[in-house]
Amino acid sequence: MTEQTNLVIETNDLGKRYGERIVAVDGLDLSVRRGEVYGFLGPNGAGKTTTLRMLLGLIRPTTGSALVLGAAPGTPDSLRRLGALIESPTFYPYLSGRDNLRVLARYAGVPETRIAPVLEEVDLAYRAGDRFGTYSLGMKQRLGIAAVLLKDPELLVLDEPTNGMDPAGMAEMRPFIRSLGRGDRTVLLSSHLMSEVEQVCDRVGVISRGRVVGEGTVDELRGREGLWLRADPTDEAERILRSLRAIDEVSPADGGLRIAAEPAAAAAINRALVEAGIAVSELRPERASLEKVFLELTQEEEAA
Amino acid sequence: MTRLVTAELLMMRKRASTWILLGIWTALALTFAYVVPYIQYTNDPARGLADLLPENLVGTLLAGFPFFGGVLALMLGVLTVGSEYGWGTLKTLFTQGPGRLRVFGAKLIAVAAVLLVFVFVAFLLGAVASWAIAANEGAEVAWPSASLLIRGIAGGWLVFAVWAALGIFLAVVTRGTALATGIGILYAFVVEGLLSALAREVSVLDGLVEFFVRANGYSLVAGLGVSAEDVSDSGPGSFSGPFVAGGQALLVLAVYLAAFALAAGWLLRRRDVV
Repeated sequence: MTEQTNLVIETNDLGKRYGERIVAVDGLDLSVRRGEVYGFLGPNGAGKTTTLRMLLGLIRPTTGSALVLGAAPGTPDSLRRLGALIESPTFYPYLSGRDNLRVLARYAGVPETRIAPVLEEVDLAYRAGDRFGTYSLGMKQRLGIAAVLLKDPELLVLDEPTNGMDPAGMAEMRPFIRSLGRGDRTVLLSSHLMSEVEQVCDRVGVISRGRVVGEGTVDELRGREGLWLRADPTDEAERILRSLRAIDEVSPADGGLRIAAEPAAAAAINRALVEAGIAVSELRPERASLEKVFLELTQEEEAA
Repeated sequence: MTRLVTAELLMMRKRASTWILLGIWTALALTFAYVVPYIQYTNDPARGLADLLPENLVGTLLAGFPFFGGVLALMLGVLTVGSEYGWGTLKTLFTQGPGRLRVFGAKLIAVAAVLLVFVFVAFLLGAVASWAIAANEGAEVAWPSASLLIRGIAGGWLVFAVWAALGIFLAVVTRGTALATGIGILYAFVVEGLLSALAREVSVLDGLVEFFVRANGYSLVAGLGVSAEDVSDSGPGSFSGPFVAGGQALLVLAVYLAAFALAAGWLLRRRDVV
């Protein structure tokens, strides 16, 4: 299978502008591969939901193009093979959870025998006969997931699926989303929660001000592991560290020094500093958190 | 398409507002067509009983269709489509796969079917009421011909369908229910009602009024047994002309129906769903 045919979502210079001043999405290039859980990470207002709506054909782009499952967004060819949960789950409040799924099953051309298993899968069978309007936010979210699963889709587009869930519900939902992405099924998960993306996603695209500002696996984005040091006097320690061959770079960070070096070099570094009369009070391996990378990437974009 | 329509019918059947509108409609239709006139007759037998007997079922019932019946049909149309905006369910339906126009088409067919039920129920209850009055007064029970009944039901349905289509169009334009209902009622009562009344004194309005939904609705039912005296003497809903020929009324109403449906479908297909 070539890289091209392996892409489930592909956008090229995708953009959405409202009037002259508001640019919601600005030349977005996105590639989501078959079978992966792709995290779409960005701060509120970054353009995530607008992008997802364009991928579903709910909003027309003003520039660029997109292919979803090999077809234009919003066409029956792509929509029949995907399930989407955009922002909060929206259903008919006067219908029961089961009746809401009956309506959607008829619209999607899915046999109604699928309803009971998906309700079981999201653990909502016990309230399926109650009106949607009486559900808690977490239950509404689970009904939204059930509706997405109804079509047994190749692609799931989930926009903040754990929104409104309590910590236990969120903890339960994450491995569930991870399990949905097993095999050939692809999941595009939009979120602003780092821990969620870190735990669930194979690859991550960071979006800020409507542009992708970073993309890769979580490990790639966090960069290689290094060391962090607290020593006294700090400037003397920095001078000595710069002279050591095992160290690529030293920079002040968080009241100490960040050292670009293999963690295995820690003992040699400690010895060199102690022999030079430097008091080392802390030396530990350090890796940039996804949150830190995210903040750096989005703040750089905002500064630009 | 059948599956989509059954989904829409399921939604309408389970929705309280459908039953509330049906209840209000039948209550108003029976009250103004039979209950009040019968009380008037019992107080003043000189008024005559003819309109209340089964033979005049079609004309007696149809008089209420272009007025309060039309406004209730407008509300049904507004609620069916406008609520989708309020609940945000349009995006849920549009991402299922059938395509926006098929979704819209299913809604139109479902509303048309429910309106037919509204008409049938009114005729059924009207028949029972007129039979009961005839039996109580010892009058002869003679039913209208099947042909007149069918034309009456079809005519009543067309009047309803035009108002419902206007409601759907307004709901799509305003993306909701409240403003659409307000504009619809304002148009029906104030714009068409006032201009129709003024047309008697301002001759230049006469030509304009001949193309109003109300004028054509009344003209259509006038051809099916509704007397001009009845509708010009019915309180706030009174209409005293101008009446147009039945053929023109049918054509104008059909054009309105198609225009409202096409314009709403075009907007729904074209606009972003946010």
